[in-house]
Amino acid sequence: MLLFILRRLLWAVPVLWAVATLTFVMMHLVPGGPFDREKKLPPEIKANIEAKYHLDKPFAVQYGLYLKGLLKGDLGPSYKYLGRTVNDVIADTLPVSIQLGALALFIALVLGLLAGMASGAFAQTAWDKTSMFFATAGISIPNFVLGAFLILVFSHQFKLFPPALWEDARSVVLPAFALGLAPAAYIARLTRSSILEEKHRDYVRTARAKGLPETTILFRHVLKNAITPVITVLGPLAATLVTGSFVIEFIFSVPGMGKFFITAVTNRDYPLIMGVTLVYALLVVLANLLVDLFYTVIDPRIQLE
Amino acid sequence: MKALLISLLFIGLVASFLWPSADRGTVESEAVFRMNLTAEPPTLDWALATDNVSIRVIENLMEGLTAYDAALRPQPAIAARWTVSGDGRIYTFHLRPDVYWSDGKQVTAHDFEYAWKRLLNPATASEYAYFLYDVENAAAYNTGRIKDADLVGVKALHDLTLRVDLKKQAVYFPSVTTFTATFPQRKDLIERYGDRWTEPAHLVTLGAFRLEEWRHEYRLTLVANEHYYGDRPALDRVIFYVVSEETTALTLYETGYLDRVTLPPIAIPRYKTHPDYVRAPFLRGYYYGFNLDKAPFDKVKVRQAFSMAIDREEIPKILKGGEIPATSWIPQGMFAHNPEIGLAFNPEKARRFLAEAGYKNGAGLPPITLAFNTDPTNRMIAEHIQAQWKKNLGVTVLLDNMEWKVYLQQLREDTPQVFRLGWGADYPDPDNFMNLFTSTSGNNNTHWGNAEYDRFISDAASEGDPSKRLALYDAAQRILTETDVPIMPLFFAAQNLLISPEIEGLEVNAMDLIHLKKVKRKPSNKVQS
Amino acid sequence: MIQPLFWPRFRQDRLAVASLLLIAALLLIAIFGDVIAPYAHDLQNTDNNLAAPNAQHWMGTDALGRDLFSRLIYGTRISMAVSLLTGVSALLLGTCYGAVSGYAGGRIDNAMMRGVDVLYAIPDLLLIILITVLIGRGVSGVFLALSLVGWITVARLIRGEVLRLKENAYVEAARAFGVKDVRILLKHILPNTFGVLIVTLTFRIPSAILAESTLSFIGLGLTPPAASWGTLANEGWKALKFYPHLIFFPGLAIFMTMLAFNFLGDGLRDALDPKQNKVS
Repeated sequence: MLLFILRRLLWAVPVLWAVATLTFVMMHLVPGGPFDREKKLPPEIKANIEAKYHLDKPFAVQYGLYLKGLLKGDLGPSYKYLGRTVNDVIADTLPVSIQLGALALFIALVLGLLAGMASGAFAQTAWDKTSMFFATAGISIPNFVLGAFLILVFSHQFKLFPPALWEDARSVVLPAFALGLAPAAYIARLTRSSILEEKHRDYVRTARAKGLPETTILFRHVLKNAITPVITVLGPLAATLVTGSFVIEFIFSVPGMGKFFITAVTNRDYPLIMGVTLVYALLVVLANLLVDLFYTVIDPRIQLE
Repeated sequence: MKALLISLLFIGLVASFLWPSADRGTVESEAVFRMNLTAEPPTLDWALATDNVSIRVIENLMEGLTAYDAALRPQPAIAARWTVSGDGRIYTFHLRPDVYWSDGKQVTAHDFEYAWKRLLNPATASEYAYFLYDVENAAAYNTGRIKDADLVGVKALHDLTLRVDLKKQAVYFPSVTTFTATFPQRKDLIERYGDRWTEPAHLVTLGAFRLEEWRHEYRLTLVANEHYYGDRPALDRVIFYVVSEETTALTLYETGYLDRVTLPPIAIPRYKTHPDYVRAPFLRGYYYGFNLDKAPFDKVKVRQAFSMAIDREEIPKILKGGEIPATSWIPQGMFAHNPEIGLAFNPEKARRFLAEAGYKNGAGLPPITLAFNTDPTNRMIAEHIQAQWKKNLGVTVLLDNMEWKVYLQQLREDTPQVFRLGWGADYPDPDNFMNLFTSTSGNNNTHWGNAEYDRFISDAASEGDPSKRLALYDAAQRILTETDVPIMPLFFAAQNLLISPEIEGLEVNAMDLIHLKKVKRKPSNKVQS
Repeated sequence: MIQPLFWPRFRQDRLAVASLLLIAALLLIAIFGDVIAPYAHDLQNTDNNLAAPNAQHWMGTDALGRDLFSRLIYGTRISMAVSLLTGVSALLLGTCYGAVSGYAGGRIDNAMMRGVDVLYAIPDLLLIILITVLIGRGVSGVFLALSLVGWITVARLIRGEVLRLKENAYVEAARAFGVKDVRILLKHILPNTFGVLIVTLTFRIPSAILAESTLSFIGLGLTPPAASWGTLANEGWKALKFYPHLIFFPGLAIFMTMLAFNFLGDGLRDALDPKQNKVS
């Protein structure tokens, strides 16, 4: 088991390197530079700035310098937030994103599993049809529309929650729901179809033939197996939610990391683009590792290679 | 199943961990002012700050040798007075003896000397280093031609006297020293804390407020500075929230979380009659430029035709923000503004000019592209202008929008036939606007140059007699917008704000500067939490 | 291959049938938009802007005084074209990659899948933004970016299918008879993934519509005068409180279409293979 974890962690290194290289090349291909301004900088001033950040050096040298820093865990200086390193910027914003993302994930799992299980258990009933209608609706709304709608109803109309900001526990509610509802709908659909699939399996028929009550079959056997696909998607889903969402952070003024996936690109803040990408990639790799580990907990028959 | 429960529990734990703390950082009895910044300030180091968000915060933390008065004329601030040598090249600033940093240390001329040399040091890589290029050897030191900082013409003669040697006479120099980039800095602190000297635990300032808290990407809190040399500000606390979405900011204003907000354009008609509504001019011009190197805009008649085919009165109807339609380039609220200048809307004449240029009803024209950077306002205006050119000239123009930085590179390397740009005042003088289109200006993307225009602008800059200066600018504006027409001005922007009735003394000026020193909050107020 | 029972089964799913009809109607609107729209999509009347829905303008007008109903109809064409094209091209790319990887197996498969792992570890949105900024200019950039991101999921799915089908007796038999690999793949394996492909396509299309609207929100959507539903919804959401019609109608169009495609996908999947009940 330990060996497996170790091997997978080692495998993460080339993946991260490839991600870093690909991103590095792509972002430098994009036209426009970090110090292009509406009011053009005098060339001599621009030369000073480019010298400071080694942007005057050949591409290969810049790449080498970046990897060298990366090995030491140094993600470099931000070009936009002067005097702050990318490590600083991520350390300031990632905890917020993790918190919001975790809450959204929690909402998604609880709502999604409950609705999905109930639908799967009582397939083709009115309950199933309504909840699946809402689940499908849930994955059909752009989240900026949902966010605007939540603010209008819960903040303007009923004044239950603050419309934005990140002050206290109440301010987390609306963004967490806006972020979590679509995954909840997705998980509900997934759980339902997974349960239906399991219901057709031989072991269920055997159990039924043995005269076990439907509820026992459902809870003891079907759910246990039906949960596997949910766990599988949980990994990448968690990585996505926890690194923040541009749209949600923008609408609700949440000081998270998700906005940088956009603003770092529009600012051409190269080290910050690299930083958030690598954090995301690392989380994806780790989340997938966790998922694989969970499989062994669920089903000891699964061998880790 | 078990695994799932474990993961749920784990996620729940993470979610409750690091819950946003409930502190609002305010006390009921305090006078607080809250407004939003449209972005996280990129830096609070005034040697490096160039964007208006950072500068908005810095201007409430710091002061310089001089400061603008309400009419935007430089007045003494930290410098009690100054003398100028006969040839206008040596400025001697005499500092007030009663100015202290927020840690109690006295402000001296050495702090200025250090700050200016640091600004000019190539290693600082400051974008605004060129603000001091009028100083002897400043440019040479900044570009690395000389290595010795002591050759730069700034010297603390003793604690309260600063001598500045200019390379040539510059009558506007006391205006330069109002800029944040020229404010004094503390050598001891910057050397001790490095890049982190601007964090609240280390930052020492001398203005009416000092920085108490800076939660990056979220909130900055300023409190009254007890060491301030002037009158203590009426506000105890200022909170800047980072809210980039203007609709969100408006919602926050309405629910009582903010005291001042800029209205999003779409909301303006609904708030026109609101008692909190304030509209003020803004020294920002919006124009379309023509690339004179590309057909058909190498022909002046075509440029004139395109400019005359637009009814600028329609623009405020679309944008609804009290924009001032413009046919000339010096904005309202600035010296030499003259709305009589420029090509008035005249579709018949426009069609005739187009025919005279050889393109009757647009026949024979090459494909024309109008480029702009992606933005809802730019898009709306471009679509409107496109429709007007179609209707009034019979010309079909293609639209092309690009992401901002891509657009800037395109302007620099392969300027489109017609392009959109704007200009906001750095200083409230027509020179700042008119200099843009001289043949040596780095910001002139039209590839147009006119020696007569250049001469008018340079003469006007050093002209002391207002009536002569006015005549020079009028003549230059006529060349720019009537005879040569490398650009067609469209409108001057306006500010549309909501300001809480509990707030008093918040001046709205045309440079969009915010000085909170004199702002008061009525005592009967209640800050909603 | 489509099962003989497909149509009778599909017909029973009333939601799916209704969805199919709605999508057919949308396609007709997309094709004959010019005839249906009461006004030209770019006809401006600044004296009558931001009007609420009324007899002349069923859905009201926008900030330039253009008829929203007509713009929505023209938007149908763009939204449908972009989402169908990206869906199909992501499908093609993903199928080729997945099929080759799965069929080749062994080291090639391993290498190809590691490549997918790397792309998978780059945030979608960042990839989309980089590509749209790089390519820019309207429909082609948005289309390319969305297809380049979409194919990865398809590739994984198809690879799984091919791995499964490869083990079938008839494939082994064909191989034993010396039938060329390409022929086996094209003639015997891929046709059997048809059901999965169709279902995947119906789910790729709504996610393309959604992704396009998110791009518009960020300000990297399509170039005017092309106004997709996403662009329209984005112009409208800020006005939610003041001019709700600006967000309501485009939002409704997006919502209904997404719903229709999702229900159609569910219905197709159930009808094609009742046991195969995966959400893609």
